Amino acid sequence: MSAQQIPNLLSLRGGPRSRGGRGRGRGPSTSDADHGISGSNARNRKDLDIQSTDTDAAVSRLSAVSLGYLHDPYAALFVAGGGTRRMPIINRGTYTRTTALDILINAFLAHQDPNQPQVKQIISLGAGTDTRYFRLRSQDKQHNLIYHEFDFPTVSETKRRTVLGNPMLSKLQEEEYIFPDPRHPPPSQTAEWGITQTKDGVSETTYCCHPLDLRQLPKIQTLQEILGLRNDIPTLVISECCLCYLDVDSSRDVVKWFSDRIPSLGIILYEPIGADDPFGQMMVANLAARGITMPSLRPYKTLLDQKTRLGELGFSKDSGGQEAETVEKIWEQWIPSTEKERVDSLEGLDEVEEWQMLARHYAVVWGWRGSLGWEGWNGLGTTTAS
Amino acid sequence: MSDLDRAIAQLRACRPIPEAQVRELCHKARELLIEEGNVVTVTAPVTICGDIHGQFHDLMELFRVGGDVPDTNYLFMGDFVDRGFYSLESFLLLLCLKVRYPDRMTLIRGNHESRQITTVYGFYDECLRKYGSANVWRYCCEVFDYLALGAIVLGASSTLEPSKQKVTASSNSLTSTQEYLDPDIEIEVLSSDGGIVKRFPRQKTVKTVGGNKSSSPAKTGAPGTGASGSSGGSVGNPGGAVLCVHGGLSPLIDTVDKIRLLDRKQEVPHEGAMCDLLWSDPDEIDGWGLSPRGAGFLFGADIVKVFNHANDLSLIARAHQLVMEGFKEMFDASIVTVWSAPNYCYRCGNVAAILELGEDGSGEGIISRSNGEVNRSDGGMPGLLKEKEKVLLSGPARRYRVFQAAPQDSRGMPAKKPVADYFL
Repeated sequence: MSAQQIPNLLSLRGGPRSRGGRGRGRGPSTSDADHGISGSNARNRKDLDIQSTDTDAAVSRLSAVSLGYLHDPYAALFVAGGGTRRMPIINRGTYTRTTALDILINAFLAHQDPNQPQVKQIISLGAGTDTRYFRLRSQDKQHNLIYHEFDFPTVSETKRRTVLGNPMLSKLQEEEYIFPDPRHPPPSQTAEWGITQTKDGVSETTYCCHPLDLRQLPKIQTLQEILGLRNDIPTLVISECCLCYLDVDSSRDVVKWFSDRIPSLGIILYEPIGADDPFGQMMVANLAARGITMPSLRPYKTLLDQKTRLGELGFSKDSGGQEAETVEKIWEQWIPSTEKERVDSLEGLDEVEEWQMLARHYAVVWGWRGSLGWEGWNGLGTTTAS
Repeated sequence: MSDLDRAIAQLRACRPIPEAQVRELCHKARELLIEEGNVVTVTAPVTICGDIHGQFHDLMELFRVGGDVPDTNYLFMGDFVDRGFYSLESFLLLLCLKVRYPDRMTLIRGNHESRQITTVYGFYDECLRKYGSANVWRYCCEVFDYLALGAIVLGASSTLEPSKQKVTASSNSLTSTQEYLDPDIEIEVLSSDGGIVKRFPRQKTVKTVGGNKSSSPAKTGAPGTGASGSSGGSVGNPGGAVLCVHGGLSPLIDTVDKIRLLDRKQEVPHEGAMCDLLWSDPDEIDGWGLSPRGAGFLFGADIVKVFNHANDLSLIARAHQLVMEGFKEMFDASIVTVWSAPNYCYRCGNVAAILELGEDGSGEGIISRSNGEVNRSDGGMPGLLKEKEKVLLSGPARRYRVFQAAPQDSRGMPAKKPVADYFL
């Protein structure tokens, strides 16, 4: 038994002269980001990297749906190919995040008085391939609801084609029609599209996708310039990993744009926190390797930071409130134990420490302002932020 | 150069070996492992390692830090596969080394060395991807069934020998202290270049343990290392063996001999003693508790102390749980978690550690011991009530080497760099 027979380990590790996958431009890039970008500038490149995160989310959603974590008949329609199976902790995270948003949104949509339903409005920022509106339709919850989605024009156009190409998505009810007329090509890539409903001779936009780079929103002067947007009804703004990609100033301006114009306003943010610890630092480094930066990570490190952020944006104690919870706590406290058992039994989750660490680094933050429409949120925030 | 040495060379370069060769290797490994008992006896010196999880380049870093085989005697406590991108290369290399140097390499089974778990956590898919069929996965799973369930380390020294590893210049002034070692040092934490991060002297008197409920150790390591030693040192008489097992204890197992009686040559069951040994975790509770993992149990300090006392153990070394600092001693240093996968899943940002137990040269540490009821009358039964009077066996001197993930540029990464998943 001599060590001489064994090659030196170090000589076999690829040195600096080895293959050099890293030298070739950016390392990894997700599929969609690579289409036709040669010669485009760094900013476009960055935007495409961020848009690629939507593909990532869609794949994760399909993984969770395929394995039975979530019910979403539309998830597969937005993923090219058969999708990829994610690790159990990612599936559990996708489940928890989606369920947390469902709970908050359903509470918002619940009617205090079924005989006098209040029309409500949802604005989904960076909605991408999100299927929430179609899921609400499948649950017959689209009545008395106006649903807006904002995203980059290319993303919006892709979604329009997907919706038009799938009867499951484009199936309409009586008195509904899709605009612009799907039999003709759209007038431009920046033209809004969606569903209009005619009721008692009055037509109203009930679903509207706005192809708009959100950073341009503050340049728009009046609410009326955004098709179908109303300021006289309780309105909920949703940012599921969207505002976190914007500069802190830009993201503040986006929220302020809505809060300056809509009196009864709520907001839900879902984004990572905790960039200071080793896990968070590695997250920042790993995302940077994909060309993704999240400016929100720097100023908003804790749940308290996030609540303060909403407070400063006008969701303050005097006229409303703000709450925040980690995905870890939401899993523990919001999901009923029978449901937890069901979810646990799907794959079995071995990696408890890793789950807790991952889930501790994602926050759901919500705030509201105005008296109407937020009753359903009472009692959802139970713990004090740390 | 024999075929085996060629296979070792190829695997060390992170290149898979042909299917036929895997089959032959697994066959030889099974012949070897079938002769081992459920609890393998290992003599110090030994370097004890925790989870690897297919992080091949970090396994190479481990060998760099801990010394090469067969110069260093290794004991790996399971979870070789799943999660990382090179489960196949990592496990086959360890298996080749086992076959080549059976007395210098001990492999025990982790909960991921299982058909069911590997189909969920990546090893199955990896084999399919790399060979186009599940044959290699099947050969490996057959080896899993023969892996020992635990190991007993005998003859570990209660004092630290000077570190044999070369100390590089970067640790400058600390270098000289390598020449002389205070015999009272019980725990030494070294960085990957051999520099001393922290030393803990052995406690002279029995310390009343209280207010020790916190599961996170106080940070005592050098800045930036994240290293800690949560132990205040153990107390009492030197001597006592070290039990190594992947997960922990089982309510069905009160003596090491009962482990020896299990029929281990099977897929890891969903419950029962064998399952518990691979799945359980120590926790700050009294007695036994339900595990959030859905298999195995949680067990408290009282359980460990009674078990160690009843079995003449001074320490239980186990893996199974990610610890950010690489190792974590609990319950007055009666049990330690060793974690050897740095930046776990390329995402967690943790450091890794290996535990070195030195050889006892003095003679006084040569232990006459038993593993259970044969020579011990109490068999662990009445220990609970007598705990306060009991003198616990003190742990062997422990040297932890803490290391970080292999540098990216040393990896010779394939063009598609592994990407850790996040929620985006």
